[in-house]
Amino acid sequence: MATVELDRLVKRYGQTTVVHGIDLSIRDGEFVVLVGPSGCGKSTTLRMIAGLEEISGGEIRIGGRVVNDLQPRERNIAMVFQNYAIYPHMSVADNIAFGLYRSKLSKSEKRQRVEQAAETLGLSQLLDRRPSALSGGQRQRVAIGRAMVRDPAAFLFDEPLSNLDAQLRTQMRIEIKRLHHRLGTTSVFVTHDQVEAMTMADRIVVMRDGRILQVGTPLELYENPVDIFTARFIGSPTMNLLPASVREGGADLTLGGSVQVPPAAATSADILIGARPQDLVPSSPDVPGLTVSGTVAVVETLGSETLVHIESAGQTIIGSAPGRQIPQIGEQLTLHAPAERLYYFDTATEKALAAR
Amino acid sequence: MSAVSHREAASGGLWSRMSLGQKQVIWAWSFLAVPLVFYVVIRFWPTFQAFYLSTTDWTITKPAAFVGLENYWRLFEDPLFWQVFRNTFLYLILGTPISLLISFVVAYYLDRVRFMHSFIRALYFLPFLTTAAAMAWVWRWFYQPVPIGVINDLLSSLGVPQQPFLRSTTQALPAVLAPAVWAGLGFQIIIFLAGLRAIPVTYYEAARIDGLSEGAILRKITLPLLKPTLVFLVVFSSIGFLRIFDQVYNINTNDPGGPLNSTKPLVLMIYQTAFSSYEMGYAAAQTVVLFVILLVISLVQLRLMRDR
Repeated sequence: MATVELDRLVKRYGQTTVVHGIDLSIRDGEFVVLVGPSGCGKSTTLRMIAGLEEISGGEIRIGGRVVNDLQPRERNIAMVFQNYAIYPHMSVADNIAFGLYRSKLSKSEKRQRVEQAAETLGLSQLLDRRPSALSGGQRQRVAIGRAMVRDPAAFLFDEPLSNLDAQLRTQMRIEIKRLHHRLGTTSVFVTHDQVEAMTMADRIVVMRDGRILQVGTPLELYENPVDIFTARFIGSPTMNLLPASVREGGADLTLGGSVQVPPAAATSADILIGARPQDLVPSSPDVPGLTVSGTVAVVETLGSETLVHIESAGQTIIGSAPGRQIPQIGEQLTLHAPAERLYYFDTATEKALAAR
Repeated sequence: MSAVSHREAASGGLWSRMSLGQKQVIWAWSFLAVPLVFYVVIRFWPTFQAFYLSTTDWTITKPAAFVGLENYWRLFEDPLFWQVFRNTFLYLILGTPISLLISFVVAYYLDRVRFMHSFIRALYFLPFLTTAAAMAWVWRWFYQPVPIGVINDLLSSLGVPQQPFLRSTTQALPAVLAPAVWAGLGFQIIIFLAGLRAIPVTYYEAARIDGLSEGAILRKITLPLLKPTLVFLVVFSSIGFLRIFDQVYNINTNDPGGPLNSTKPLVLMIYQTAFSSYEMGYAAAQTVVLFVILLVISLVQLRLMRDR
């Protein structure tokens, strides 16, 4: 177990820079998720930590030791890949034992370690099988087993759940999380799925275009996104953003109506007012806040809640209604969000205006 | 197909009363019939004809008479056959491993070369496109004595005595084998490269993280995962070396088969028996023996190298 520190880390391919000097400090035993759209540099960053990509600038320290020029095997890390990377010509036991290839343990100790890992992952019955006889979830568990047996300083996960179907993904998410609680090994997990990031992370690192936009706990990111990108990336469905122009004591929405704006958010002439669909509900506007009316265009029934897409002045706004209260398409509907649940962004800089 | 079925349906004929499954079967067989008939006429019928011929004494000047297995007894008592048999197996057991080893080493390193990769690959493939006759003549010229032969020129400039190559009973067979191996390399390299490319990169990355050395990666990951490619190439190149003919025939046109038949393979013996001596029945018996050898070796190889 160890800390992982990135110090002004840079990655260049020829002329193009894909990681622009990022800093990140991961505490011992922490589960950190790097999240962002494809091409944001999250996988490259992980591969630099693993030693699979050379570092163009800056420093990586694992457990306080600079590892820039160390081979992957000298870094004492273990990695789980998206396509599992388990060998089809070996049995499950041999695949797991591969993690101990360099270890000096005796044969019986190795076997014991493999059996222990298999037990933890519920693979004991499958040790003699070939990977081709396993399901996707079992294969990924074998890959995790291979990473586990070595007792590494850190686990690196490169989108390990992307090849699984939705149900299995949810299940594996919980299994990995539970495993982390039990082993307490420092983990870095890369994904493009914000739900995975929110549910698994101790801390989330949001990346875009090779830069870190924001680092924080899932709730910090949800409550206090620093810019429009993070605000839209975290939370599902995406946050509504309504353009408004600031005047004395408030702001006028371009689609009609006005909103009270706190003084801290009234520093720019053109702002975007954000409201999460979960906060925008059909209710009477008896408290100050955001009120929008429009025609119901689409209704998504989820059972626990109903997502309502309304159209107003050419803009689509997503709100939510209770599960059993399903509006009719074409119906006029008024949605309301209380003032304390609103977000404010500068239209020009896309930065958040007031910390809530 | 739909046009036909529409027309038939309109007339209410037999076709419209068939189920979809029956129609599919009829269509499938009518397409399969063309190659099937072609193969029966061009391949299977002559093959069975050869089996029959091998039991006759047909010599094209007199009509064929049934002689039973006499041709086979004659063959097994013929010292030339055993010489030829030995030569053919030498081509096989030298040619297959040597050519596969060289082509694997070239492919393994060429796979890592980015600089002019396609050009180098094309260069290796070029001999495969060249006709064996032209190639044999060039190599024949290589093997000439000083001052014509390039190889002997080089040897004498290094102070090594001249070698007889094609004129020697011991050196002739390897000298004929060399251009044959060289000519097949390009094809084998391409197949090996395709096999190497098909192995996912993450297997190697995972192995590097687990701490395997380059040698261990080759032994434990690359070679086992390359097994299907390897099986294909072993069988394919074995058949090629067992049927070697044009390389041998062209490199020694004035004396096909080399000094004292030291390079003569089975196919050349068949050719000479059939088209120099016109002993068609005897040649057919030799062909059947070659067929059986090819069949047995291919089956044994496939069985040995099958995934257990």
